[in-house]
Amino acid sequence: MSDDSRLRPYRYAEQTSPPEPQRVSDVAVTTFEHVFEVDPRLMERHVLQQQFPNWDSLRIMSSRHDHLDWMHAHFADSVVTGSELLAEIEAEEDA
Amino acid sequence: MTQLDDQPSGPDALAQALTQPFTPGMRDNPASLAEYDDEVAGPAPVSLPDPRTREFVEEWRNASYNCFSSGHKFCREVCPVMQVTRNESWTPTAFHANVVAMEKGELEIADVAADYVNCTQCGACELRCPNTLFTGDFYRFRTRTVDVVKAVRALAVDSGIHQPQWQTWNRRTDERTHEPVLGETDISQEHVRDWADGLDLPIGGETILFVDCEAAFYRTAVPRAVAQILQQAGVEFGLMGEQWCCGGPAAEMGYVDQAKRFARHNLDNWRATGTRRVLVLDPHDYISFTEDYPKYFGEEFDIEVVLVVELVADLIREGRLTPSVPVERTITYHDPCRLNKRKGIWQQPREVLRSIPGLTFHDVDRVTQWSYCSGGGGGLPVEKPELTAAISANRIEKAKTLEVDTLVSACPWSERPLSEAGDGEDIDVVDIHEILAQSLGIEVGGSRGEVGDRRSGCGGGSCGGAGGCGGGEGSAS
Repeated sequence: MSDDSRLRPYRYAEQTSPPEPQRVSDVAVTTFEHVFEVDPRLMERHVLQQQFPNWDSLRIMSSRHDHLDWMHAHFADSVVTGSELLAEIEAEEDA
Repeated sequence: MTQLDDQPSGPDALAQALTQPFTPGMRDNPASLAEYDDEVAGPAPVSLPDPRTREFVEEWRNASYNCFSSGHKFCREVCPVMQVTRNESWTPTAFHANVVAMEKGELEIADVAADYVNCTQCGACELRCPNTLFTGDFYRFRTRTVDVVKAVRALAVDSGIHQPQWQTWNRRTDERTHEPVLGETDISQEHVRDWADGLDLPIGGETILFVDCEAAFYRTAVPRAVAQILQQAGVEFGLMGEQWCCGGPAAEMGYVDQAKRFARHNLDNWRATGTRRVLVLDPHDYISFTEDYPKYFGEEFDIEVVLVVELVADLIREGRLTPSVPVERTITYHDPCRLNKRKGIWQQPREVLRSIPGLTFHDVDRVTQWSYCSGGGGGLPVEKPELTAAISANRIEKAKTLEVDTLVSACPWSERPLSEAGDGEDIDVVDIHEILAQSLGIEVGGSRGEVGDRRSGCGGGSCGGAGGCGGGEGSAS
């Protein structure tokens, strides 16, 4: 589960000033930890981006993590990482 | 990653480049793709005669197609209205599809306005939608059911299509500057601070406590508990000089001009009393101040907004509040929709409850509670009280399976319908601030509403300890 229980007063100026984006690929940037966003220049036509205060990006990111934890807790007998699966496949191929 | 400087250009190069799939914006795309002028193919737009509808669909078409063209429908089973009605016309999917049909000229606002009553604006659908949960933050484009419902309701009002109870409710709110919540208290400006009788709270100042209409006039034990908790922790605050309704309910029901007028009054009044920080105990007010007001005022809205339950959790963590009186109850916690789903605030209330000695706490996690609701929001209890009652009964039924005697909420607007539903199942409904105050040894006073006061056994004032007042000072009103 996400852990973000500190007091967070709402301040307009803060909420409309996300951290400086850092490029992570040709088409994606990152702002907050665990928050990845499409390069905004790719959404300048057809479908424009919405106004997103910081709390909303963080809420969605945290909710996604909580939801995935919830799904695993309710529907998975065990949770394996992709790297474990790949290692298993490679081991089978080597055998 | 290789950028080729000497790539061929011209029509042949572009045709060659288009034979392969590509991701727009990639640095190693063939340079000729920069010349590619992509187009969106589709039927010619329908010319809509009504300028309001034209403007409306222009603003909301993309948000609506975002739902209509994906059609996941994960929203249906988390929707509290869908759970109790199974009416396909009252689903988030239908609310978006209608906008698409309006854009095509197949529907007019008069055809569908009444359907949009059936939404509590709890936000479950838009959070559970994969277009929010899995991609919303990535694209900065998420499902906007609440905004779409509010916009359709506003279009209806602007077009002269009114829901009778909402029209009366908002007219009376306009006359009295507060919502006409049902109860014993006379709803008027001179009574809005009656709940604070005997608490010796100043007016104005840098920090003020904003109390919603339901708590100020009906469930007065809640603001009394909050005020006395903050006093015990040494927090300095006052009350508003001339508090009006936050305007949120009017905005939710489509009466946007009225909502903006009320918001303007409150902001001006805060300025007049030197207020820089607003403490908010009600999740609905919290939405108004952190979503509506910023939209209305932009950068002008420089007021800091603090949710009381977050502040209280902080004060407990810092040791400025220490709950020590055991409260022998078996409880579960109802995540208010506007905190859990719409704001992602669910940890602090649990932190507060876990600090109270004596409680046996059967918790239900926040994700499971995305599908829980009291039915008390979005104007639903005003226009369709029978639907609110059914949704509340559904929520109480879930609490009953946990064999609890108390359902704790953190939202005054949920507590009236939940109390009424809980009464039949012998489940008491208590506000988190009321129960914390009890554990802090505070004699709260005030009223827990008709059901709460009756269950407390003294016919008013929530005395006897069970309701969290422990004192029996009688109703503040």
